[in-house]
Amino acid sequence: MKKTIQITVNGKSYSRDADTRQVLADFLRDELRLTGTHIGCGTGSCGACTVVLDGRTVKSCCILAADVDGQEITTIEGISTGAQQLHPIQEAFVEFQGLQCGYCTPGMVLSAMQLLKENPNPSEDEIRHGISGNLCRCTGYHFIVKSIQEAAKRLQASK
Amino acid sequence: MKPPAFDYVCARSLDEAIDALGRRPGEAKILAGGQSLTPMLNFRLAHPGMLVDINRIPGIDAIRDDDGGVRIGTLARHRAIEVSDSIRKKFPILTAAAAHVGHLAIRNRGTFGGSIAHADPAAEWPMLALLLDAQIEAKGPQGARTIPAREFFTTFLTTALGDAEILTEVKLPALPAKTGWGFEELSRRPGDFALAAVAAIVTLDGKTIKDARISMGGVGGTPLRAPGAEALLRGKPADAALFEQAGKKAAEESDPSNDVHATADYRRHLVSVLTRRALTSAAEKAAQG
Amino acid sequence: MSPPALRIRCARQAMAARSLPFSPLIAARPQKEFEMPTAGPFGAAVKRVEDPRFLVGQTSFVEGMVLPNMLSVAFLRSPYAHAKIRSIDVSKALALPGVVRVLTGEEAIKRCKPIRVEWKESKFEVDFKPCDYPAIAVERTRHVGEIVAAVVAENRYLAEDGVELIEVEWEPLPAVVDPEKALEKGGTLVHEEWGDNVMLHSHIRGGDVEGAFRQADVVVKGRFAMNRHCAAPMEGRAVVANYDAAQNGMTVWTSTQMPHMVRTKIAEALDYPEHRIRVIGPDVGGGFGLKCHIFPEELALSLLTLDVKRPLKWVEDRRENLYGSYHAKDDICYAELAVKNDGTILGLKTKFIGDVGAYTSYPWTPSFEPLQAAMAVPGPYKIHHVHCEALAVATNKTTSSVYRGVGLPAAQYTMEHILDLAAAKIGMDPAEIRRKNIMKSSDFPVTSVTGLYYDSATPLESLDMALEMIKYPEFRKEQEAARKQGKYLGIGISAMIEMTTFGFEYWRAAGLKSVTGYDSAHLRVDPNGGVTLTVGTFNHGQGHPTAYAQLVADGIGCKIEDVTFIQGDTQMTPYGWGTWGSRSAVAGGGAVIKASEKIREKMFRVAANLMEVSAQDLELKDGKVQVKGVPGKSMTIREVAQATVYTADVPDDDEPGLEASYYYKAPTPYANSTHIAVVEVDPETGYTKILRYVVTEDCGRMINPMIVDGQIAGGVAQGIGQAMFEHHQFDESGQILTTSLMDYLIPSCADVPPMQFGHLETPCPISVGGIKGMGEGGAVAPPPAIANAIADALAPLAGWKPIGRLPMSPEVVRRQIA
Repeated sequence: MKKTIQITVNGKSYSRDADTRQVLADFLRDELRLTGTHIGCGTGSCGACTVVLDGRTVKSCCILAADVDGQEITTIEGISTGAQQLHPIQEAFVEFQGLQCGYCTPGMVLSAMQLLKENPNPSEDEIRHGISGNLCRCTGYHFIVKSIQEAAKRLQASK
Repeated sequence: MKPPAFDYVCARSLDEAIDALGRRPGEAKILAGGQSLTPMLNFRLAHPGMLVDINRIPGIDAIRDDDGGVRIGTLARHRAIEVSDSIRKKFPILTAAAAHVGHLAIRNRGTFGGSIAHADPAAEWPMLALLLDAQIEAKGPQGARTIPAREFFTTFLTTALGDAEILTEVKLPALPAKTGWGFEELSRRPGDFALAAVAAIVTLDGKTIKDARISMGGVGGTPLRAPGAEALLRGKPADAALFEQAGKKAAEESDPSNDVHATADYRRHLVSVLTRRALTSAAEKAAQG
Repeated sequence: MSPPALRIRCARQAMAARSLPFSPLIAARPQKEFEMPTAGPFGAAVKRVEDPRFLVGQTSFVEGMVLPNMLSVAFLRSPYAHAKIRSIDVSKALALPGVVRVLTGEEAIKRCKPIRVEWKESKFEVDFKPCDYPAIAVERTRHVGEIVAAVVAENRYLAEDGVELIEVEWEPLPAVVDPEKALEKGGTLVHEEWGDNVMLHSHIRGGDVEGAFRQADVVVKGRFAMNRHCAAPMEGRAVVANYDAAQNGMTVWTSTQMPHMVRTKIAEALDYPEHRIRVIGPDVGGGFGLKCHIFPEELALSLLTLDVKRPLKWVEDRRENLYGSYHAKDDICYAELAVKNDGTILGLKTKFIGDVGAYTSYPWTPSFEPLQAAMAVPGPYKIHHVHCEALAVATNKTTSSVYRGVGLPAAQYTMEHILDLAAAKIGMDPAEIRRKNIMKSSDFPVTSVTGLYYDSATPLESLDMALEMIKYPEFRKEQEAARKQGKYLGIGISAMIEMTTFGFEYWRAAGLKSVTGYDSAHLRVDPNGGVTLTVGTFNHGQGHPTAYAQLVADGIGCKIEDVTFIQGDTQMTPYGWGTWGSRSAVAGGGAVIKASEKIREKMFRVAANLMEVSAQDLELKDGKVQVKGVPGKSMTIREVAQATVYTADVPDDDEPGLEASYYYKAPTPYANSTHIAVVEVDPETGYTKILRYVVTEDCGRMINPMIVDGQIAGGVAQGIGQAMFEHHQFDESGQILTTSLMDYLIPSCADVPPMQFGHLETPCPISVGGIKGMGEGGAVAPPPAIANAIADALAPLAGWKPIGRLPMSPEVVRRQIA
C-alpha cells in the first residue's frame, strides 16, 4: 500500500509515495539517498539509525515512513555543510578520535547533540548514560566520551 | 528483516480509529509510538492485516491535573512524563521510573498508553499503573468505559481491551499525605527490561504503616501486586525486620519464569531484596513528609 | 568405510630465530594523557585523516550501494538444528510478482564447490578432519540458520515475502548440542564420514609434567567454561555482486576483512577465471575476525549474478548476523596447576574442549580456537612442564570460528583465574604470586614450553607499572575500610603475552596452506610529489590511512596529507592477506617502510646525481633531500619527483619513474600487557560495577599512540562484553534463543568504565621498524581481571571461589555466595 507523504528533511521539502510498510530508515536511505543513517539491529537497540524528528532524537528503524507525514527530520547530512566544514561536535570527534569504523558515528553524533542541547554541561556519568542508546563495537566509548566532553566545551565557548 | 505487508489507516479521530479497528476484528493493531510493535514487524513476529495509526488524533496526549491526581493521555510520550513538573510533584515515582524506560530516543517516541496496552510485565508503566490503582479509560464501539488497573492486565501481553477498543487516558488518583515511594529495578544494562522490579508506596501515621502497596514487574505473566505482603505491613511499625519479612512474602507471591537473562529462582530472590529496599526507601520518604 | 584421519606428527621445533641484537628497553613511561609528539610522524598521535567524511555520512558501506537494475536477495534459513530436506517447493515464491529467481542447494552444488579446508602436515601435533560446507544446503542442514534457498526479488521486502512462501518438507533429526555429550560414543554424528565428532585433536607436551606434579605442595583444579558469543560488528555482512557482460567479468563488493582471499576463493569455487573477478572491500563497519572468511552468501551471490546478469545485493540483518554468520570462543577448559608453598609454579595441565559448531570455516578452520588456547596458556610465566590438550568438537550449532584473540581468551581466563585460585590456597597475594613467576625483559628472547618463540617482552615491568597506576597497596586499605562499611570492593589482575601478526614462519610451522603470513605495499610518486600508496592489508577502522601515511612521511620526507591511500580493490592493490590477528602494523607497516626505503634510496640517487654529491652525503630534513650539514644545498621532494618521473633526469643505469613495491614475509612478534580491574559487588543481587580499569601495554614501537589506545579501549569493551553480558544460548533441541540485540547484550557506554593507559615501548628485534601488533590484546585480558576482582570482593563472605563460567551475570555472581 502506498501513502503520499510530505516531509522536510535537512531543510528541504519532499513529496513522495512511501510504501506503508517501509521503515523511515529505509525511506531516507533508499528514496532520498541519504545513506549516512545506518541500520544495525531492527529492534531499536543499537541507535545506528538515530535521526532527529521534530527536534527530538528517534530510532528510525522503529518508525514507519508513512507515520512522519508533515514532520521535520534532520539526519547527519543536515548538521554541517560537508567534510570541509564540520559542526563543533564533529570537530571534537576528529580531535579526540571519537570513531574508528564510523558505522555507529552518525547516530552517536546526533545523540550527543541532543544530550548537549538538553544538558550543556554534563558530568561523565551523565554522558555515559546519555548515549547508552548508541552502541559502538570499535571504540570502547573511551574517546567518544572525551570527544563529547570537548564538544561541550566548544559549544559553551561559542555562546 | 523487513515488515510484512499490511493495510494502513491514518485515523484523524478516535471514532475513525475505532471504526477501522471494528472492520478487521483480531487483525488490526493500533500504531502509537510503535517502539514495541515495529521491532515485531521487522522480525515478522507480527502479521497484522491492518495498522491503525493514531498519532494524528488531536487532544489525546495531554498530561493534566485532575482533582489532586493526574490524567495522562494515551499518546503522551515517555519523555513528556519524564520531564513533567506536574508528575514530579504528585507522582515522583513515575519520574524516577521514566529514566529506566529504554533510552532517550525510545522515550521520545514511545507512548504511555501504548506501553500499558502492550502490557509487557517487565515494563515500568504497567506495574506502576497497578501500584497506583490507575483508572484506565477506554473507548470502543459500545462507547466509553473505565477499567480499574486490577482488572486490566489479564494474561501475558493481553489486556481487558476489546478488539476494537482504544485506551484513551489513564487517571492516577491522588495519593494521601505522608506517603513515600520506592522504586527498585535490576536490569542487565540501563534501559533493558527489568530482571525484576519492585515499586512500593507507604503511607505513615506516625511511625505506623497506615497503608502499603507493592507491585512487581518482570516476575509473572502480568505485573503483579503483592497483597499478602501488603497485609503484613498494614498497621505495623515500620522497621527493617518487617520489611525483610514483607520482602520474603512478596517473593512467594511472584511467579517468575526462566529466560536467557535469568532463572525464576534468581528473580524470586531479587523480589525479596528489591521489595525490602523499596519499602525502606518509601518509609524514609514518608517520614520526611 | 571412511579412511581414518591422517595423522602426522613432526618433531616440534622452535621457530627460526633471526639473530638480531636485542635492543635495550626504552625507559618505561606511564602515560595518563597523550603526549603530543616532538619528533617525526612515526610515533606521533596524529589525528586521523579519514575521519571527516565518516562524520558527515559520506561513506561507501555496501548497504548504501545502488546500481542500475539492481535486485535484492534474501535467504531461507533452516529452523532446525539438524534435519533432512525431503523436498523444497519454490513455486509459490516464484509466482509472487517481483520475485525473479530462486536458487536451491541441489542446483548450487552443481556449479559451486563446497567450502573445505585440508590440513595434513604440521609442526604442531595436529589430528584434523576436513568436511564439506556447501554454500546452500543439499539434502541436510546441520544448524539453525543454515542457508536452504536464496530468493532474488525487486527489493528486500519482496524477497522476504518470497522466502515466506517456500515450502520445505523437513525430517528433523536428533541434534547434538552439548560438546561433552558430542564426545561420547554412539551419539549423533554431525559429519557421518568422521566416525566421531572430533574435528581436531592435539597434544602439546613440554618437560616432565607428571614429575613436576609429584613435587607439588599444592595442586589446584578447575573447570573454566567460556561463553559462546560473537563479534557482532555494528555493520553486518553485506554483498553486492555484479556480472558485467561488456567486461565479461564480475565485480563483488563485500564487507570483508580479506578481499584478495575472497576473490581467489570465488574463482576456485565457481571455476571462474580469477583475473576476471574484481573484489572490492569498500568502507566496512567493523569485523573483528568475523569477516575474515569466505562466506556462502558471497558464493551464492556470485553464482546468481552470472545467471541473472543483473547486480544483486544482500545486506545481512542482525538476526542473520547473530545466528547465520559465525560464533566464537566457546571453550571449556579443565585445568590443574601445581605450585610450591612459596608460590613457584611447577607445572600445568589443561584440556581445552572447543565447541566449534557444525561446519568448517575457510581459511582458519574453527579448530584454530582450542588449538591456539592450548599453545598460549602458559602465558608470560616461567613454566617448564606442561601437558596441554586441545579438542575441537562439532555440534549442531552455528559454526564457531575466529574472533579477536582466537584461543587466547580461553587460555587467559584459565591461567589467570587458576593462578588466583592457587594464590588463595597458599595464602599469597595475587600480585605477589605473579611477581614470583612472571618473566622479565631480560629473560627474552625465549621459547615457551609450548614451542612459541617470544622475541621480547616486558611482562614484569608491565605488571609493576599497572600495580603502580592502580595504586595497589592503597587499594587494599581502601578495600578493608569499605568492607567495614558493608561495601564489597575487589581487585583483579590479568597479565598476558600476546602473539601478534601470525607471520610467515608461523603458518609454515602450522602447515595450514590456506593462509600465508606476508603482506604488501606499493608506492608511486607523481611528478608533483604526491604519493599513492596501495596495500594488501584492509583497514576497517584501525586508522591505516593515517598510520601508513605517517610511515610514508617518515620514510620519504613528504607530508602526511601528500599521501593518497588505496586499499581493498583487488584490481588496484598488490596481493595481500587483509587485516586480522593484530598484523597490519607489522606486516603492512613493514611493507610500507620497506617500499618507502626503496623510494628514498632512488630519490637519493637521483638527487645525488643532480647535485653532484654522493648519495651517502644526503639526508631527509624538513621535507627536502639535503646535503648533511649544508642546509642551502637541497632539493624538495617535489623537485626530485619532477626529475625522476617527468623529465627523467635520472642516472644512466636507473629507470625513470619513482615507484616501488615490497612483499614482506612478516615475523611473529609478541606484545604484552597487564590489565587491572577494580569492581564493586552488591552481594545481595550479584550486580557488579567496574569502577576503575588500568591497562599497561608494550607493543614495541608505536606508530600512533592514540590509535593504539583506541584499539585497547575497544578491545576492553569487547572483553567486558564477554565477561559480563554476551552469551549465545540454545535449548536442548539446538534452537538458538538469542536472535536479536534485545537478547544478545552488547555493552553500552554506561557499562564500560573509564580507563587509564600506560605504555612501555620495547622496540621489536625481529620486525621492520621495531613494531609489534596489539589489536586483540585488549579483548583477551578483561574476563579474568574481572573474575579475579569479583572473587576477591566476595572472598570475605564465602572464601575465595573461582567463577567457573562466563558471562558473570548478576545471577552467576550471586551464586558464588548463595
